Amino acid sequence: MSAITPPPFASRSLPRLEAREKVTGRIEYTHHLKLPGMLHGKIFRSTMPHAKIKSIDTTAAAALPGVYQVVTIDDIRKVIPNPYYGPAFHDQPILADGKVRFAGEPVAVVLAFDKKIAEEAAGLITAEYEELPAVFDEIEAMTAKVLVHDELKPAATFADLKYLKGKKGTNIALDYQLRRGDTEAAFARAEHVFEHTFRSQQVMHVPMEPFVSVADWQDGHLTLHTASQGPSFVRIEIARLLGLPENKVRVKVPYLGGGFGGKLYIKLEALVTALSMVAERPVKISLTMDEQFFMVTRHPCHFTIKSGLDASGKIIARHCEVIWNGGAYADIGPRVTQKAGFTSAGPYDIDNVTINSYAVYTNRPPCGALRGFGAPQTAWAYECHTDMIADALKMDRVEFRRKNMLREGRPQASGTPLRDAEIERAMDHVLDRMNWSAPFDRGSGNIKRGRGIGIGFKGITSPTTSVAIVNLNADGSCALYIGTVDMGQGSDTVMAQIAAQVLNLDPASIKVIHPDTDVTPYDMGTLGSRSTFHMGNAVRIAAEDAKQKIEVLARELGLPQGANLPLVDMMKQKYGMQAGNIIGTGTYLADYEKPDAQGQTTKGTPFWGVGAAGAEVEIDIETGAIKVTKLVNVADVGVALNPKAVQQQLSGAGIMQLGFTLTENMVFRDGQLTNGSLADYKIPTLLDMPKSFINEHVPNAYDAHGPFGAKGGGESTTIALSPAIGNAVADALGIRIYDLPITPEAIFRAMQEAKGAPLEEDA
Amino acid sequence: MAALEIAEPEKLDDAYTMLGTEEGSIRPMGGGTALMLMMKAQLFKPSKLVSLRKIEALTGFSLSVDASHIRIGAMTTFSELEQSPMIAQHLPVVTQTMKTLANVRVRNVATVGGNLAHGDPHLDLPPVWSALGASVRIVGVDGERVVPAEELFLGYYETVLAQGELIADISVPVRPGWRFFYAKVTTRAEHDWPALGLCVGVRAEGEVIADVSLVLSAAVDKPTRLKSAEAALRGVALSDAALAMAADAALAEVHIEGDGRGSAAYKQQLLRVHLGRAIKHVMQGSASA
Amino acid sequence: MSTSRTIQFTLNGRPATADIAANETIVDMLTNRFELRGARESCGQGLCGCCTVTVDGMAVSGCLSLAWFLDGKSVETVEALSKGGVLDPVQEAFIEAGAFQCGFCTPGFIMMVRQLLDAHPDPDEDEVRHYLTGNLCRCSAYPEIMDAVKLAAAKRKRASAA
Ligand SMILES: Cc1cc2nc3c(=O)[nH]c(=O)nc-3n(C[C@H](O)[C@H](O)[C@H](O)COP(=O)(O)OP(=O)(O)OC[C@H]3O[C@@H](n4cnc5c(N)ncnc54)[C@H](O)[C@@H]3O)c2cc1C
Ligand code: FES
Ligand code: FES
Repeated sequence: MSAITPPPFASRSLPRLEAREKVTGRIEYTHHLKLPGMLHGKIFRSTMPHAKIKSIDTTAAAALPGVYQVVTIDDIRKVIPNPYYGPAFHDQPILADGKVRFAGEPVAVVLAFDKKIAEEAAGLITAEYEELPAVFDEIEAMTAKVLVHDELKPAATFADLKYLKGKKGTNIALDYQLRRGDTEAAFARAEHVFEHTFRSQQVMHVPMEPFVSVADWQDGHLTLHTASQGPSFVRIEIARLLGLPENKVRVKVPYLGGGFGGKLYIKLEALVTALSMVAERPVKISLTMDEQFFMVTRHPCHFTIKSGLDASGKIIARHCEVIWNGGAYADIGPRVTQKAGFTSAGPYDIDNVTINSYAVYTNRPPCGALRGFGAPQTAWAYECHTDMIADALKMDRVEFRRKNMLREGRPQASGTPLRDAEIERAMDHVLDRMNWSAPFDRGSGNIKRGRGIGIGFKGITSPTTSVAIVNLNADGSCALYIGTVDMGQGSDTVMAQIAAQVLNLDPASIKVIHPDTDVTPYDMGTLGSRSTFHMGNAVRIAAEDAKQKIEVLARELGLPQGANLPLVDMMKQKYGMQAGNIIGTGTYLADYEKPDAQGQTTKGTPFWGVGAAGAEVEIDIETGAIKVTKLVNVADVGVALNPKAVQQQLSGAGIMQLGFTLTENMVFRDGQLTNGSLADYKIPTLLDMPKSFINEHVPNAYDAHGPFGAKGGGESTTIALSPAIGNAVADALGIRIYDLPITPEAIFRAMQEAKGAPLEEDA
Repeated sequence: MAALEIAEPEKLDDAYTMLGTEEGSIRPMGGGTALMLMMKAQLFKPSKLVSLRKIEALTGFSLSVDASHIRIGAMTTFSELEQSPMIAQHLPVVTQTMKTLANVRVRNVATVGGNLAHGDPHLDLPPVWSALGASVRIVGVDGERVVPAEELFLGYYETVLAQGELIADISVPVRPGWRFFYAKVTTRAEHDWPALGLCVGVRAEGEVIADVSLVLSAAVDKPTRLKSAEAALRGVALSDAALAMAADAALAEVHIEGDGRGSAAYKQQLLRVHLGRAIKHVMQGSASA
Repeated sequence: MSTSRTIQFTLNGRPATADIAANETIVDMLTNRFELRGARESCGQGLCGCCTVTVDGMAVSGCLSLAWFLDGKSVETVEALSKGGVLDPVQEAFIEAGAFQCGFCTPGFIMMVRQLLDAHPDPDEDEVRHYLTGNLCRCSAYPEIMDAVKLAAAKRKRASAA
């Protein structure tokens, strides 16, 4: 944890390497890709949330002039006999297979050279269904007789999900359990016991570049061009589906117009692959903005948290019952359930902890990873709960946190000790920026003001691997071959900075080769704040390897120590002309120890993501209208290698989470999404940005295992923001909101409820 | 979006011929913003669009010589109104409404006529025109008729316009001594379609509300004049009690529906609060005129 | 009257001709027939601004406008702003302020900020926020976009003073 001076090169706020291409509009996205002879696919979707498909009538669509072909699962089976995929369970059919499990599920695809014709034809397809009883609510799904899947099929692809079985005869895809100490006994001797239930709603990533993939199947090998955050996984999973070796599947990813966890694992890739095989032509599918709501979303979460405290206000027992609504297909939900379950007791030092975290299937659009892997949903519960306990015990909300805070070296609920995690300093930084000790204006007239804070942390998916190649050309110029996807977070720039730091080069001169699985080596995925740490380390190792090879070459050439001959001259000496390469490789696999049956491990996470937030709100008590007037986000990112890029991540994640806190909500009626368009699903605009908005990282933090002391920070400010606002609302009104989003009507209803004059609900 | 034909007549008579009188898949097109949304969503598949942009008779806006009225051609765009000093001077509430209506690009093309003919009860301008007492001139093969703006709307997306009829222009009275304000109440985000749109006008004599004009939209199926609330306020001195009575009257005379922007009960509360606030606002003269 | 026709217009300062269908939007035409990438469709509903172009100097959503009506008009896209490697002051300001992450919304924002500064050379914060509400950035580079507008205004003033 000792502070070191950040190295000169790496810590520059270098502008993005690709900045000019972005402002001129010339940058490459899959969105724009066209291949000769390419067909466009338009998806026909189910209108039923749960039903058997009796028949699909494609005749009118097929007869429309310009339509190339209409494809259903029957056609796909001819090229892929077992057309089911998924990162955790092989539960998702490439197109609906006899049954639909959510309203919006792909049932058929029209292929045409003209996109408009494909669209028009898709509108001509009809399907007949036999409706089945459906289940939408996660609590109901836990015990429901309605089964979304008759059979559970674990995938066993990822190391951390090897033990997945699912519970036979239920909707439970995963039940994660953690046991520490003796929770029951501790509750029995507790002086105070508190129990509360909090809920988070279903929301969506809304990348501005909607999902898009292009497949080109030719003579037994496949090229996929796709807006994916995880090209290596795409290759592995598609190769498995096709029964091909990995080298017959090539996955290329240019820049992404946003991802936020949505564009992970398999999304459109399996579908376009199958279509290209069926049609024997390149096929592209680009979703519209509205269709994205049916691709992947964030888990609704129902969290009952119970704490036992001793007379001094020390938390001695905590029980967490967390239920994740995974929608119709598991996607990576089991990892969300596990990862977020793992830290669901919060950043507190508690000896006796029980955690049960369940992933359940329902008849909603599938849920997967979204910026924070469930940590924001759990923090919403545990940090609101924290304030409620402090208030009930008449303790200061900050001091109560300090008293119970998990500190360096102490074991977290899983037994993994806290290491290089600046939880308290992050909180103190927030308090400072909030002027916490100054008198606070509580408003007047119909305006009430309040303020609140929240703290939180998250573990990082493990064990995972990144591989990097550094290539020095004979003229000394450098190219970096990595599978990390730059979706806006600035990874190209930061990775170049790391290589530059080791090799003593100008980072802006380094070329970063974009993911192309024929060229770039394996990377587990651009997800969960892992890239700076894992790929950053791999790049560092690769650069060091290259450097060592230069030193070997120097010795071979008999150059005196410290000769510092330019590489080009060394290469000329060695090869008699400007020729050859120096290739450095680096592989990084974080230290990991599999948890035991109690969920205990001393190495559960390679590092800790840490975030703290503070909010000031103004509430109009006559309408419930809420304004966040000040928002402070602080994260521990270790050493900020590119402070500007870090700051953008912190504020960007913060505003996104602000949307998830106040406005965004996928609303369903009988399983039908009623607001699946940006006209009705409101993401933040410039007008929603708080007037005072501060985003900073904890100064002089250092992660001993990270490259040059750095760790990831793309998610940290999503964690504690919602509870900071919820706590500020409670501070203003003395009324607790339990469910997200915190809308004006929700606030007004809660106020009326508290007055004993509840507002009538719509029939 | 399915294939279609486009015609661009230069004369009204040609437009009538092209549009015909059979309800069907031929529609006039103003700025096209509402039409495009419906066509892209495949909610509406026209066989032919008759663009009105080349018909000079539908363009332009000007103050009458006696300064009593402003005529606004149906093809006038929102941006033209927004940027007009004349409008800012005589109809400041229109300028005020523009600021939060859709966005700059939509305002650059959306037209006054298309906006009125669309009949969507969530639109911001129809209650403003209604409260101002504007009248709409409708033309067609059978001649023309003039309808008060508030009588243009029959219900949810329903107007008195028959197939083949066009809105030619609107005439908005300039009302000296009156102050107007449009309250756009959003609930799902700062920038949104209104949960409640309320245009309020008063002619004040000191503390007394000598005359008042109140039109509610968005929470109801069409822009609706709050007649009982107006009656409750006319000739009354401004007081919290008077405002409460007016709110009661308003709530009694309209049927408010719940939707994604708020439950019926919540919107009733919003009406109660914002009616009072808007009237106080215009009475204090700090409004947009 | 027909379902397709040939239009002649000016595209980024050069004469252009296209055979277009009546149901073809401006953004479809620009991407499919002119291989321009700057205006791109995202929301498809006029809400996000990713498809912003100017027609006779006025910003419109290319996703909600039919190419049909471009006949005789002058269209500008973000591609027109940089010449010979020299960027427009607004583009420079976006880079200097770090006003983007993924960049998908960026051309649209740049086009709108140029319009904003044409109309209000020295906008206050409220004007900027309102003017740009029709542009969405999911990476939420909003704070940096506010900085970029200020920076661009200053750059423009300096340029016009010089
Ligand atoms: C992104 C976006 C956001 C929006 N936000 C808002 C908002 O916040 N508040 C708001 O009030 N509105 C909003 N709108 C709606 C907008 O105001 C309307 O789409 C617009 O006013 C319609 O005008 P137009 O000229 O484009 O109509 P068009 O699309 O051309 O036509 C609409 C209808 O009117 C008919 N029509 C057109 N002109 C005439 C005529 N002269 N005579 C008879 N019939 C005619 C057409 O056949 C069609 O049925 C928004 C729209 C978009 C796209
Ligand atoms: S794509 Fe046109 S405004 Fe969003
Ligand atoms: S930079 Fe990604 S959407 Fe704006």
